[in-house]
Amino acid sequence: MIDKRLIADPKTHYGPARAATRHFITQRLTGALNVLFLLFFVWLVVRLAGAGRTEMVGVIANPFVAIVLALLLVNVCAHMRIGMREVIEDYVDDERTHRLVLFVNDVFSIGVALIGLVSIAKIVFWG
Amino acid sequence: MAPRSRPLSPHLLIYKFTLTMAMSIIHRITGVANYLGTLLLVAWLAAAALGEGPLDVVNAIFSSWFGQLVLFGYTWSLFHHMLGGIRHFIWDFGKALDPAGREMIVRIQLAASIVLTLGAWAIFVWFK
Repeated sequence: MIDKRLIADPKTHYGPARAATRHFITQRLTGALNVLFLLFFVWLVVRLAGAGRTEMVGVIANPFVAIVLALLLVNVCAHMRIGMREVIEDYVDDERTHRLVLFVNDVFSIGVALIGLVSIAKIVFWG
Repeated sequence: MAPRSRPLSPHLLIYKFTLTMAMSIIHRITGVANYLGTLLLVAWLAAAALGEGPLDVVNAIFSSWFGQLVLFGYTWSLFHHMLGGIRHFIWDFGKALDPAGREMIVRIQLAASIVLTLGAWAIFVWFK
């Protein structure tokens, strides 16, 4: 019989195994922050669209810009990682493929964040 | 005796097409598009970090007609997904969930995402 205790026990893999509430809250928290980050992002893109390297380094090397951009990347990648996870959980049924695609999702999300952060660090510290 | 087949849920296509349904699907599609679109941002940042040459290449791609088309679509996708998120926040508080309210809120969202996108491009690109 499926009862409350069975669903609450993470070992049975019934229900969210305690991850769903955290996902829900993380998704909304990062989403709300992304509204603010998008305003900053629009400003940055408009400011630097088509700009040469000197100008880009000049703007991004500003500590305020660099820190906000770095936080944006981390926040966006956290948000999109859970979002894509939800999509995968909906559509990929085969268990091995499921695990593989979830892994690819992690690699992509963390990879995007890392490439972005390393690029910002390079621009800030070495020009 | 062969086991009795399990009941199946009705197929997706038997449901009437509604605007809220379409916007739900579009929210997911724009989410996936934004996911892939982060590559545009990191390609730009990485190119700027790497040097003059790579940055020129990225700028040339972004300023080509195809690049501009992709960036225009990405602008709309970002704005639309953001507004969709705000719509979900409103729904989380139990507001605008009645038939009239939810129809109105998705119409406002669609109109706002188009206006924001056209506005941003008009102000910052076309009539700069």
